[in-house]
Amino acid sequence: MPYTFSDKYSTADAGIIVTGKTVEELFSDAALGMTEIIVASENLEVRKKLTVELEADSMEDLFFDWLSEVIYLKDAENFLLKNCVMEINEGDRINLRASLSGDEIDPERHTLKIDVKAVTLYRLKIEQINDHWQGEAVFDL
Amino acid sequence: MINERFIRISNNIWEIPIDFKDGMRVPARILSSPRLIDGIDSKVIDQITNVACLPGIRRYALCMPDGHMGYGFPIGGVAAFSISDGVISPGGIGFDINCGMRLMRTNLTLGELKPKMEELLNRLFRTIPSGVGSKGFLTLDRKNFSRIMEEGAEWCRRNGYASDTDIERIEDHGRLPHADHTTVSEKAVSRGINQMGTLGSGNHYLEVEIARPENIYDREIARRFGIDRDNQVLIAIHCGSRGFGHQIATDYLKIFARSVQKYGLEVRDKELMSAPIESDEGKRYASAMACAANAAFVNRQLIVSGIRQVFREVFRKSDSELGIETIYDVAHNIAKFEKYTIDGREETVLVHRKGATRSFGPGKAEIPEIYRPVGQPVIVGGSMETGSALLCGTSMADNETFGSSLHGAGRTMSRMKAKKTIRGDKVKQRMTERGILVKTAYMPGLAEEASFAYKDIDLVVDAVDALQISKKVARFNPILNIKG
Repeated sequence: MPYTFSDKYSTADAGIIVTGKTVEELFSDAALGMTEIIVASENLEVRKKLTVELEADSMEDLFFDWLSEVIYLKDAENFLLKNCVMEINEGDRINLRASLSGDEIDPERHTLKIDVKAVTLYRLKIEQINDHWQGEAVFDL
Repeated sequence: MINERFIRISNNIWEIPIDFKDGMRVPARILSSPRLIDGIDSKVIDQITNVACLPGIRRYALCMPDGHMGYGFPIGGVAAFSISDGVISPGGIGFDINCGMRLMRTNLTLGELKPKMEELLNRLFRTIPSGVGSKGFLTLDRKNFSRIMEEGAEWCRRNGYASDTDIERIEDHGRLPHADHTTVSEKAVSRGINQMGTLGSGNHYLEVEIARPENIYDREIARRFGIDRDNQVLIAIHCGSRGFGHQIATDYLKIFARSVQKYGLEVRDKELMSAPIESDEGKRYASAMACAANAAFVNRQLIVSGIRQVFREVFRKSDSELGIETIYDVAHNIAKFEKYTIDGREETVLVHRKGATRSFGPGKAEIPEIYRPVGQPVIVGGSMETGSALLCGTSMADNETFGSSLHGAGRTMSRMKAKKTIRGDKVKQRMTERGILVKTAYMPGLAEEASFAYKDIDLVVDAVDALQISKKVARFNPILNIKG
C-alpha cells in the first residue's frame, strides 16, 4: 500500500504517510488514503467524473489545496474519490490538473466511517528523496 | 508531565514561567489536579507555551483540566488578546467553529421513557441525520443561508423552529452580532448549505440522559436550571457548524499564512497562523467566524426542532405536556469580545476558547435573567458511556480564567488504538448490559468513542470545582445514544 496511517500525532485525529514514484502518484495516493478514512473504498463505484484545476506557489501549498479540494467535493458534490489521473507542472506557479472519478455518497451502498473535517498544517510536508516522493498530512476528524 | 521549572501556585494550578521558552510574553498556567497533572502530554506544554508567545496576549495562556493536544492551541486552551496589538487565530478556535453543547430538560421521567426506549431511539435516528454525507431536512436558498449566517438562532424563531425561551437560553441569544456573509467563501456556502440540522460524525452525538436524585449535587441551582423531578429525562446534543465552519477555518488558515508575513508576526507553529485583530484580514475572519458560529447555533436549534417532533409523536403529548425546554446552549470552540478588569483597568479583549466553555458567574448581564443569581449553566460532554455533567459559572472564572472553564472529558487514547483494544459491537453489548441503547451508522466508530479513550469526567469536573472556576450542579447518566 502506498500509504500508511499513523496515530502518533494526536489522539483525536489521523495522519497519513505517503510515498510515490512521482509527485502525481503521491498526490493521488494521499487523496485515496484520506478517502479510506471516510469510507471503505472497496464498495465505491465509478458513477461521477469531475475535473479539478489548482495553482499554488509551493508544492506544499498545492498538497494542502489538493487534499482540501477532495474534502470540499465530498460535502459540496457528495463525491467520494475512487481514481484520479493528474498532471502537475512547475512554471511561475505550480499547476495541477486532475481528472477524478468516483461515487456519490450513498449510505445504502457504502460503509461510511468518519468525516474528515479539514487538512491541518501540522506536520504537513512533501519532499523528493532521491528517486521518490514522500509526503505527510494530518487530518482533523 | 510536571517539569521542575513549573511553579505550583496552588493545589490545582501549575504555572510555566515566562523564561521557560524564548519569546513567551506571559506565563502559561495549567489548571489540573494532583491526579490529572501527570497525564498532561508534553505536546500540550509545548502548545500552550507557544500560545504564550503570541502578540498582544494578556495575563496568561491557560489550559483547562481536560486539555489535550490540538493544532496550534491545545484543546482546552484559553487566551485573551488585546484589541489594539493582539491577534486572532483560527488555531485558537478550531476547525469546527462553535462546536458546542445543548442541554434540554423535559417533564418526562425514566418510568415513562422505559416502555418507549427502543421506539424513541429508532425514530430519533431516522429523523436526525448523522454520519458522513448526511443532509438536513431544509432546502435552503443562498438568501436564507446568508440570513442564517447573520441572524443565527433568531432565523429559527422567525421560521417557527425556536421558541422565545430557546433564544433566551442560547449563549449570546444564538447570534454573534459582527457576522457578515460577504466574508465567507462560495466554497464554504456550498459545503454547508445542505447540512443544517445534522449531527456530523466523530465524537458528535445526541443523547437522552437521566438525572438520578443521587447525582444532583446542588438541588437549588438544579431546580433553577429546570431539573425539578427525580429520574428526569434530559436531552444533550454535541455538534458544531459542520462543513461550513470547517471550510471557513481552512480558507482563513491560508489567508493568515500571508498575513503573518505581511504583518511580520512570529508564530512558532504553522497552526498558529494569525492576523492582527484590527487588520482587514483579522476583521474579516472575525466576521466569517461569527457567520459559522451563528450557523452552528442554527444547526443545534434545528436538531432540537426535530427532537421535539419525535417526542410528540412517540409520547403522543403536546409540547407543553412534554416540557422540552432549553436549559442552555454553549459554544466551546469560539472567540468572543469580552470585558475584563486587567491590571486594575477594564479592557475589552478577544477571548479564544478552544475546547473550553464560557463560565460566567452570578450577576453578569450576558446570561439569562433567570440564571443571573447563580451563574450560567456550563455543560460538559463526557464519553457516550459515561454521560454529561452540568455545572454553573462563577466569579472566580470571571476573575481568573477570562470567564472560562472545561468542555468535556478530554481524549487520552487514539482512535486507532481504541479500535485495536475493543470492537464496536462489544462496546454496544457492554452499553446494552448497563441499560444504554446506542445506534450508529458505523459500528467500529463506537470503539473509537469508548469510555476508556477519555479522561474520567468526574476527575476533570472535580478539578474545575476545586479551582472554583465552575461549580458542580449535577451528573447525568446516558440511556439512549445516537453516535454521529
